[in-house]
Formats: sequence, structure tokens, C-alpha cells
Amino acid sequence: MVRETLPVMETEWFQPFTEQPIALLSEEGEWIGDFPLDLDETLLRQLYRDMLAVRLMDERFTVLLRTGKISFTAPMAGHEAAQVGVAHALRRGHDWAFPYYRDYGLALALGVPLVEIFGQMIGTRADPNKGRQMPCHPSSRPLNIFAAASTVASHIPPATGAALSMKIQGTGQVAVCTFGDGATSEGDWYAAINFAAVQRVPAVFVCENNRYAISVPYSCQTATRTIAEKAHAFGIPGYHVDGMDVLASYYVSREAIERARAGHGPSLVELVVYRYGAHSSADDDSRYRPREEVELWRQRDPLVRYQRFLARHGLWSEEWERQLREEIAREQAEAIEAAERAGEVPAEWMFDDVYAEPLWHLERQRALLRAELQ
Amino acid sequence: MATLTMVQAIARTLAEEMSRDERVVVLGEDVGKRGGVFLATEGLLERFGPDRVIDTPLSEAAIIGAAVGMAAHGLRPVAEIQFADYIFPGFDQLATQAAKLRYRSGGQFTAPMVVRMPSGGGVRGGHHHSQSPEAHFAHTAGLKVVVVSTPYDAKGLLKAAIRDDDPVVFLEPKRLYRATREEVPDDDYVVPIGKAAVRREGTDLTIIGYGTSMPEVLKAGDELAKAGISAEILDLRSLVPWDIEAVMRSVAKTGRVVLVADAPRLSGVLGEIAATIAEELFDQMLAPPVRVAGFDTPYPYAQDKLYLPTVTRILNAAKQVLEY
Repeated sequence: MVRETLPVMETEWFQPFTEQPIALLSEEGEWIGDFPLDLDETLLRQLYRDMLAVRLMDERFTVLLRTGKISFTAPMAGHEAAQVGVAHALRRGHDWAFPYYRDYGLALALGVPLVEIFGQMIGTRADPNKGRQMPCHPSSRPLNIFAAASTVASHIPPATGAALSMKIQGTGQVAVCTFGDGATSEGDWYAAINFAAVQRVPAVFVCENNRYAISVPYSCQTATRTIAEKAHAFGIPGYHVDGMDVLASYYVSREAIERARAGHGPSLVELVVYRYGAHSSADDDSRYRPREEVELWRQRDPLVRYQRFLARHGLWSEEWERQLREEIAREQAEAIEAAERAGEVPAEWMFDDVYAEPLWHLERQRALLRAELQ
Repeated sequence: MATLTMVQAIARTLAEEMSRDERVVVLGEDVGKRGGVFLATEGLLERFGPDRVIDTPLSEAAIIGAAVGMAAHGLRPVAEIQFADYIFPGFDQLATQAAKLRYRSGGQFTAPMVVRMPSGGGVRGGHHHSQSPEAHFAHTAGLKVVVVSTPYDAKGLLKAAIRDDDPVVFLEPKRLYRATREEVPDDDYVVPIGKAAVRREGTDLTIIGYGTSMPEVLKAGDELAKAGISAEILDLRSLVPWDIEAVMRSVAKTGRVVLVADAPRLSGVLGEIAATIAEELFDQMLAPPVRVAGFDTPYPYAQDKLYLPTVTRILNAAKQVLEY
């Protein structure tokens, strides 16, 4: 196995362990970065389109839930800038993403077809994962999106392993692993990042810190002021970032990803966000969060802030917004229809993919079910 | 052809597989310079370098979890857990990630990996160096489970496990690592997963065993022969999938069966096999199946030898089915 010679990073714009979260946009949408913005208009607009699509998709999920088409949803509203920023920072289809269950925004921005997303949510044949998981579990082999698991933090050691394989094989890829603030209390989180740091693997660990693990607030989760400073324990940089600023999410993630790609090892990126909705459709957040707090964060909405930025640069208009909303609504409605049209997952698929080849005990059970259904 | 102990056969096999396929890597605690605490990875670091023989931090979760990611990304990792008793911090990774990756992704992602662990008692290791936790793995859909008992099988089954496209838990009875030597062919042979071995042919009763207890099972067979009783002895070798054909063929012939293993009796693998025999061969049985298992205590230190199924206990069980 050959290890490819990797370039040294030329520019590092961001300092780790800042007191204040790194932001590149003011609340009014002014660029406050101290380096030149180097993104073209197409990408600047795409970031907005993706965020809007995530917001509208989140609303769709709630509608599907209320109409009884899905059993569960994990609201993403408030996380759009973080997820879309990270997704655009990695090389789509080349780098690997290790998402958690609130990351359909990440999956959408990475290019998972809507019909696959809704197919997975509803559990139809349109789901390349064959209806095996409850809603909100992204997975796509062609896009290198590792199948999400419900068990908090369990995907983080595999991210380290994939990154170690990338290093050993010299593929020039990076593994980007996302998780919530609750995950940082799991032993697997520590074990995985520690191993990644020791081996200097090309990985970036991204915390979407929305301040709550279901009902447990940040103050009951950890005594550290930030998640980013936990990186000190691993000997890697930790970046404390305003995750409701899509450009900050994008640029910091991009720098961390390219550092990793260049052989400088992993980083921890904390994107401070807020979950507008409850933890999931099975949760009632009014029992633990004052409405005023939710309202306060909603006023810092990532879409509104970024819209102001685009407007300042003549990249947003009410007409464009109206068109986008129509387009996205139509695409999503069509995708839901196509996902449903694909039909139910056959009962016998239950027995496939447990192993590469069928084992006798499973084949007997398949026959038993077949007989029962006839 | 070399005469090897089981642990030597394992070390050689790892080297052979690493030479054959550069995707095969070894990771675990002390697998590098130390060559593994039992020397199962001896000489690999010198030969294959630190990219392929990886000393990990002391974290079973990191070892198993990283192996899942490495496997999903295209390598063929062989993870060593220093003692099977230490699997529990890594059990979540095994059960949540390794076992379910193929299934939950609809076959898009897979985890072709081997987790080797020294298991079983008889070495005065107390309860954290002596357990046989195979039932936990056998109860987890998506894992294959192998328990070897001879140097020859250790080579052939380890090759099969490394080449398998699914995660395989590979249990190595530590008590047998250096207990015997056996001629192990130099050629590239594979013992298929899921096939039992007939260790002795017989007609009066079947004794089914595996792993740590095989020496006692064979000794019991000798004792029975001296008394003129013909025991057929099966070594299961694989627990998932287990060899239902070999088991049913033998028990249909003898009509009597004793099942032996050192793992705790309650909810153990032997119970599953005994129940299946009863379901399928009830009308051909001359006696109910009888199990000789480990006791349902934590593995003791002072009573190390008494905990394991003894020859006497196996002979008593044989008597019970013969005199039923």
C-alpha cells in the first residue's frame, strides 16, 4: 500500500478554542470575516436553496407524520446552516459522511435523491436501505454516506476506522462525522476521537450542539463551557462556531477537512445551533423548555440571516424566493408520490442481508413466514 | 508440514493471509512489538509494518468500532480482543454496528471483519480472564461465531473467517493455545464455517462438544470405549451457523445425546441445539438430551478446574442417557 504525498496547508484562517463562536455573518447579514470571500454566486445561492429545501422538507416530515404515513420524525429546523455548510465543505461522493439521525439536511445537501429520502422515511421500495430502519436514518453507498444508527455515538468509532483505512490506503479522502451534544458524553465518542488523534487520521468530528439531549440541557451534559475545548484532551484543535451562520459552518468545516486531507490530523468542530422543534415526534419539549427561549433562538434564524447576506449582494429577491419555494414544494411532492408509488417492501425482504449468503436457520424462518402468509 | 501449537498456527495463518491479501490488517492492544499477550501476532509488525499491524489505545470500543469502519471502507481487519472477558466495552460496537451494518443499509455497506478473542477457563484467571461469552454473540443476528479446538482447525477456520464477507467472532480457547501440538499442513486450506467435525465414530450415543471442553469430551469417549460403549463425538466448531445436518445425522443414528461446553448453562448455545434435536427427532430418541455445561455462577478463581465440565460429569451424563 502506498501513502500518497500530501500538500501542506497554505492558509489557516481560523484559530481554535476561541472565547466567542466563530461567525462570518452578522445578524444583519454583513460579511464580518477577516479574509476574502472566495465563493462563486452559484454556490452562494445553492447554500440558500439547500437550507430552504431542508426547512421545507422538515415541514413535510411533520405533515407525513400527521397523516399517518410515517411513524416518527426528528425535527431539523434550526440545524440547516450547520448541516448544509458541512455538506458543501466535503467533496461529495469522494469523502465519507457519518451522519446521525437528525442529519437529513446533510444528506439532502450531499445529493441524496429526494425519492430515496422519502422512500426511507416512509419505508417503501424506493429506499435503497430496503425499509430496514425507522425514519430519519440516512444512508447512501454511491454518496459514501454511512448508514446512520439510532444508538447515540456508536457511529463515531467506525468513522475513525474508515479514516484510518483512508490513511493506510492513501486515498486522499476524509471522514466527516456528525453528532449531537449528548453524544459527547458517551465513551465511544472519547474512544473514537482519541484513537483518531493518535493515528492522525483524516477525520473531522462535528458536533451539532443544539443545547439539549432530548430534555437534558447542556448544563447537565457537561461542565465544560464549550464542546470545542474538549479537543484539548485529545491534542487536536477544537473550533467553536456559530452553527446558525452557514458561511461560518462551511468555511470552518472546509478548513478542518482540508487540514485532515493534507495529513495534519483530525479536528473537532462545534457548531452551536438550536433545535426549534422537540427532540422527536414522540417528545413534548414544552415540559422542559420555556417558549421564550425557543422564540429567542428563532429570531436568530439561519435562513433569515443568510437571506439578508444574499440580498446585500443582490443575490436574493422576493421573486426568486417565491420561485424557489414553488420549485422545492413541487420536487418534494413529486418525490413523496414516487416513493409511495414504489410500493411496500415485501415481507420476505426481512430475511435478506442478515448475512452475505442465506444461512439455514434464517431460510427455515423465511419458509415459516411464507407458509403463514399464504 | 510443521508441528504447531494452536497459537503458533494462528500466528502463521495471520501472516499467510496478510501476505495473500494486502487488505488484511491486524489491530488490537499489544499486537505490535509485544506480538500479543499470547503471542498470536508474533512477528507480524516486523514483517508487515505499523500500517498493517496497529497497536491501538486501550479501548475495545475503539478496536471493534474502528474495525467496522475499516471493513466498510474496504480493508479486511482482524481485531484482537485481549481476553473475551473484555469484549463488553466493545460489545455495543459489535452488536449495534458490525452485526447490523449490512442489514440496516440494505446491503449497501458491509463489515467483513474478524474479532479474535481468547476465551474460556482452566488457566486460573478468575472471572475476568476465563469466561466463554459465545451465547451473547450467537444471540446477535448478523454475527457468525466460531470456536476452535485444534491447531489444524484454527488455521483453516481463521482463513475462512478472514475471507468471509460478514463479521466473524473467532473464539480461541486459551487453555488449548499450547496444550497440544499437531501437524498443520503448509498449504492454503480452508475449513468451512458451519461444518462440524466427527472426532470419533460410534453408535451408542452422541456427544456434542466444542472449544475448551473438547479434551474432556474426547477423554470421556476413550473411557466409554474401554467400557465397551461406542460414543460418536462431534466437535461443532461453528455455533452460528451450527451444523444441523451433522447433528441430526448422528443423533438419528444413536438416539441418545449429551451436549458439553464450558459456557454457562442458562440460555446457552447447548440449550438451543438440545431443543432443536427434541423438536426434530423426538420420535427417534431413546432418551432426552442431557447438557453438561458451566455453572451459572461468575467464573470462580479457587474452583477453576471444578467449574469446567469434568470427565466424571460427562460420564455421568452418558450413563443417564444410556440407562434412561
